[in-house]
Amino acid sequence: MTRTMLRPPGHTVLRARRSSFLLHRRSLLVAVVLTALLAATVVASLCIGESFVAPGEVVRVLLGLPSPDELVVGTLRLPRLVTGLLVGAAFGVSGALIQTVARNPLASPDVIGVTHGAGAATVAAMTFGITSYAVLPYVSVGGGLAAALLVYLLAWRRGLHAARFVLVGIGISVALGSLTRLFVTKGDYLVAQQAKVWLTGSLNGRGYDQAAPLATVLLLLVPFLLWAARAQRGVAFDNDTATALGTRLDRDRLGLGALGVVSASMATAAAGPVDFVALLAPQIARRLTRTPHIPLLCSALMGALIVTVADLLARRLFSPTELPVGVFTALVGAPYLMWLIVSSRSSRSGGTA
Amino acid sequence: MAVTLLLLLLAVVLSLAVGSRTMAPSAVWDALLHGGTSDDAQVVRALRVPRTVVGVLVGVALGVAGTVLQGITRNPIAEPGILGISQGASLGVVCAIAFFGVHTLNGYVWYAFGGAAVAAVCIYVVAGSGRGGASPVKLALAGAAMNAFLASVVAGILTTDARALDEFRFWDVGSIAGRDASIVGQTWPFLVAGLLLVLAMARGLDALALGEDIARGLGRNVALLRATGALGATVLTGVAVAAAGPIAFTGLAVPHIARALVGPGHRWLLPMAAVLGPVMLLLADVLGRVVVRPAEVPVAVMTALAGVPFLVVLVRRRKVVAA
Repeated sequence: MTRTMLRPPGHTVLRARRSSFLLHRRSLLVAVVLTALLAATVVASLCIGESFVAPGEVVRVLLGLPSPDELVVGTLRLPRLVTGLLVGAAFGVSGALIQTVARNPLASPDVIGVTHGAGAATVAAMTFGITSYAVLPYVSVGGGLAAALLVYLLAWRRGLHAARFVLVGIGISVALGSLTRLFVTKGDYLVAQQAKVWLTGSLNGRGYDQAAPLATVLLLLVPFLLWAARAQRGVAFDNDTATALGTRLDRDRLGLGALGVVSASMATAAAGPVDFVALLAPQIARRLTRTPHIPLLCSALMGALIVTVADLLARRLFSPTELPVGVFTALVGAPYLMWLIVSSRSSRSGGTA
Repeated sequence: MAVTLLLLLLAVVLSLAVGSRTMAPSAVWDALLHGGTSDDAQVVRALRVPRTVVGVLVGVALGVAGTVLQGITRNPIAEPGILGISQGASLGVVCAIAFFGVHTLNGYVWYAFGGAAVAAVCIYVVAGSGRGGASPVKLALAGAAMNAFLASVVAGILTTDARALDEFRFWDVGSIAGRDASIVGQTWPFLVAGLLLVLAMARGLDALALGEDIARGLGRNVALLRATGALGATVLTGVAVAAAGPIAFTGLAVPHIARALVGPGHRWLLPMAAVLGPVMLLLADVLGRVVVRPAEVPVAVMTALAGVPFLVVLVRRRKVVAA
């Protein structure tokens, strides 16, 4: 029996007994490089702070060896860093999924109202005296889901047109944003300060309390994400092609969209709406891997990298004042979005961009 | 038109009469004409009259600015708030508070204009370039990006300056409550200047509605028209933002209501928008005073909530999306 080698260019086939798996070589390389960069950033981020800790000591702490810097690195800096990594990864994945479903590089959880919904719900809860981190994440997720559902329902008209989706999303975002501002004025001065910082997306004072629910949810999502990585390829085609290929389009889109919304809401719950990570990470990852679809793993790595680097800069650049990480990501992300708009010259983008 | 003017009168009366202390229109009338020192008279003259006048001023500015922006971009969702022009004005005000020690409205105004102008230029360049010109989605996204960018700069400044936050957060919510009469005295010249600019190019808007080429064929200088219109709209937005903070969606909804009433000709459209703007703003403000008594909902929240259905209906019409 001759085995015909139908192998797409740039892929390697991994075989383990009877199952086989297509591996995109360039994606693998990018993933490895991103992981290495991420590791370097992790060490750098743990070294740099009010006091400098030698990289050697950081590595010792990470490996669980006794070290004099245990307190600074392990207790003060590590929880914040872990939160940043998880938040970045969650936003990256979420952006990849939502951009795939919308088939539009401009769609992201920020644009379609998810983060604003989570933000409005959380600030409202804060104003009414709920400040416990045991409750707030659920409030955020509820708010994000509700906003996304609202946008979905309002934009639905014999199918989901990407442009309509984006426009309705922006409208709902504006309305939710003004509600959020209302809640900020209702609270007292301290709540206002806390809410304002939270709303720009900050990792300051975030630790395992915030990271734990996010980590749990991300772990629970892993099997679904594996499904998503497969389903994603079908959804990326236009409607007719996808249907002809036997993709159950509506079901897949709903599933991918829901996954994206859940991870974005969870990330928002942990660190506030860190702007534009969900928009940037998948696009950069895709340009690096040069895959036809948006790579999930690389998007997650890229998201984590963006958030940790941005947080490092936000912490140190104007030291001793600490800026919220969201300020930084928005300063980079917004011009990038504008550049995307300006440079979208292909005829296909006429309907979507 | 006459009916709309009556509506405006009604809105003004409501704005004067309704509040945490509701009084009969006759009492309001008394207070206005004869003065007096009763509590009612004090409330009307010291609080409600300035508030109402500011509301009218801001409403006119936003209504006309929205109409002109929609006219020059030929885009049904153009609006100072969505395009980020208001956020630009906000940034100007924040800088004034944080860096230049400006704490009076007279000072704010110039910074608000500056910020609004810079944001307007950037948005137009971004949305207008690339293939297909300024389509609704591109405009909205460019506006959203601009909003996020400016908001993050504002947030950055405010995080490092807690005192400025305390001053800014009340202004930021967009309200016409607690503004005193001096604001009107300081901003009306700008309102007039903005309206004159708009008036100067108003006739060209009808030509522009037919398309750039036809407008050019009719002997209009399209670039000049657009520049004048944009400048006028920016000045008007600056007035509104300086006086009341960012108020979204009024500039979006008003032109559409006006168009439904008097058709697309700008000769009637602009005056109609100028009357409907204050009507919408004052009614939203009155509603905001009533819904959560004895507290108040700022007018910007009310207009945003009232404006969203508008946007949704607009977007669901096929025309907008296809563009």
